[in-house]
Amino acid sequence: MRTRRAVTDRLFWGFCFLAFALIAAPSVSMLISVAHQAAPAVGWSLFSQTTKGIGIQNAILGTLLLLLGVLIVAGTIGVAAGVYLAEFASGRSEKVLRFFSEVLAGMPSIVIGYIGYITLVVQFHWGYSLLAAVIALSVLVMPYIVKTTEVALRQVPSVLREGAAGLGMPRYSTLGRILVPTALPAITSGLIVALAISTGELAPLLFTAGFSDHNPRLQLFHQQVPYLTNVIFTDLALPGKRPHATSAAAALVSLVILIVLIVAGRIVAGRARRNTARMSL
Amino acid sequence: MSEQTTSAVTESQARRPEVTTVGPPVPAEMENPVFVVENLDFYYGSHQALRGVNMKIGRNEITALIGPSGCGKTTFLRCLNRLNDLIAGTRVRGRIDFAGKPIYDPSLAAIELRRRIGMVFQKPNPFPKSIYDNIAIAPKVNGMKVNMDDLVEECLTRAALWDEVKGKLKASAFSLSGGQQQRLCIARAIAVKPEVILMDEPASALDPLATIRIEDLMSELKKDYTIVVVTHNMQQAARVSDRTAFFNVDDSQGVRTGVLVEMGTTHQIFTSPTDQRTDDYITGRFG
Ligand SMILES: Nc1ncnc2c1ncn2[C@@H]1O[C@H](COP(=O)(O)OP(=O)(O)OP(=O)(O)O)[C@@H](O)[C@H]1O
Ligand SMILES: [Mg+2]
Repeated sequence: MRTRRAVTDRLFWGFCFLAFALIAAPSVSMLISVAHQAAPAVGWSLFSQTTKGIGIQNAILGTLLLLLGVLIVAGTIGVAAGVYLAEFASGRSEKVLRFFSEVLAGMPSIVIGYIGYITLVVQFHWGYSLLAAVIALSVLVMPYIVKTTEVALRQVPSVLREGAAGLGMPRYSTLGRILVPTALPAITSGLIVALAISTGELAPLLFTAGFSDHNPRLQLFHQQVPYLTNVIFTDLALPGKRPHATSAAAALVSLVILIVLIVAGRIVAGRARRNTARMSL
Repeated sequence: MSEQTTSAVTESQARRPEVTTVGPPVPAEMENPVFVVENLDFYYGSHQALRGVNMKIGRNEITALIGPSGCGKTTFLRCLNRLNDLIAGTRVRGRIDFAGKPIYDPSLAAIELRRRIGMVFQKPNPFPKSIYDNIAIAPKVNGMKVNMDDLVEECLTRAALWDEVKGKLKASAFSLSGGQQQRLCIARAIAVKPEVILMDEPASALDPLATIRIEDLMSELKKDYTIVVVTHNMQQAARVSDRTAFFNVDDSQGVRTGVLVEMGTTHQIFTSPTDQRTDDYITGRFG
């Protein structure tokens, strides 16, 4: 009897380990192989030179600039829409907003890039530009921000709402001073995941950002923006060892940015959980 | 036969909680009620939770609402500050006057009403903020022109919590014990200078000692505030309240609906209730 239980126990843990290994192994092997291939290109020059030389400084700066743009555009609009859905929307306006958010969420990223190209780049005459790229990326990650914001607000215990209402606090102050601060860690971790997604995207940028061997400038229109995924993509297609190593190095830097964002998200989300756990409501 | 009846009465008499309310006894007739409730019906969607409630609530008195679970005590309490407005699909019929004005008048803002009528909930629900901010936030939002530090100290003192927290006002409210959190919620409620405080089983989550502290606090606050308190604890009603209202579930019309069976001075309700159901409830024969 006891041995059978021990065997089942072993089997169970063995199975869990296998599942874990199946997930972990590809990630780790990918990281190792990327690092291995990038090794020849990794050095001070990678960060001090642009793609005109043998570095990717311009692409790193461009990606960070795009992330900042996404944080501003998608962050503001997405959080506002999420707050609206959670707190104010009702009836038709809610249905309409939810419908569009779902349509956007299901839209293939290449289509977003393409639409961005024909409207922003061509029709508006913005050319390949920072703003066009930021908007395309923002459209891609916005539904995610809307959803996490809405869920975060809905998860604030209703007794806090009632407590504030019972003190005669108006709805907007309840929202601004109690609900949003309580939900903020969860909203922030949603924003961070949105940035992580943006880091790895190529399709929406292909048609909107263009590329440049120079460092990006803070200019919204008519100024092409270099970015990491483009380097990964184009350098891999070039002949020779050097471009392949540069491509791998760009991938490695993207992965590092990704890991930093994910870890930051974890920390913030953990703090959120601790906050609500202590509430014991 | 007659012997049996006598012994039954003495037996039930023995199990009646003793009324020990602090302060002079209140007159049977109320002169100047704060709330006048007339023919109140309340619905959650199609479910009627209250039917035909008539009640007057006296100024600077403690009114206890008692009755079995599900009879609508919480629902009634939350009608008094229109907190049920927050629940979608609820409906009110009848009339509630507060300080002479109908509160369900569309021209009256619920927000203004709730400033004048504070609420303490069954489970302590401090905001996830510091002890200080829990008290200061509503006065700030409401634009009260006061010295905030003084106000915080005053409210915490009145809520008998100052000595325990004066050294750690910036600490999170969650670092307090359940009983301390509940007193913080009482302090928070009095910070906006209400005229009435509604309390929904404020001590149900607390140990006996913390319960006694809350009860003492209620007797103390009665000087300045009108208090309406829901309680499951018959002893508590007898200890602190001036008047008692007994609610019950009525299914004589085919559906289970809350009704007010009777209301009177706590002394009268606990010594000579006029309705058999009240007698049964307070002597513990059901409920
Ligand atoms: N939010 C709600 N939606 C629908 N029905 C509700 C809601 N709240 C309460 N009810 C119903 O209304 C009736 C009265 O509930 P209420 O909470 O007022 O009773 P109570 O006397 O406070 O009970 P307890 O002593 O258990 O707290 C119950 O039948 C309950 O199921
Ligand atoms: Mg209740």
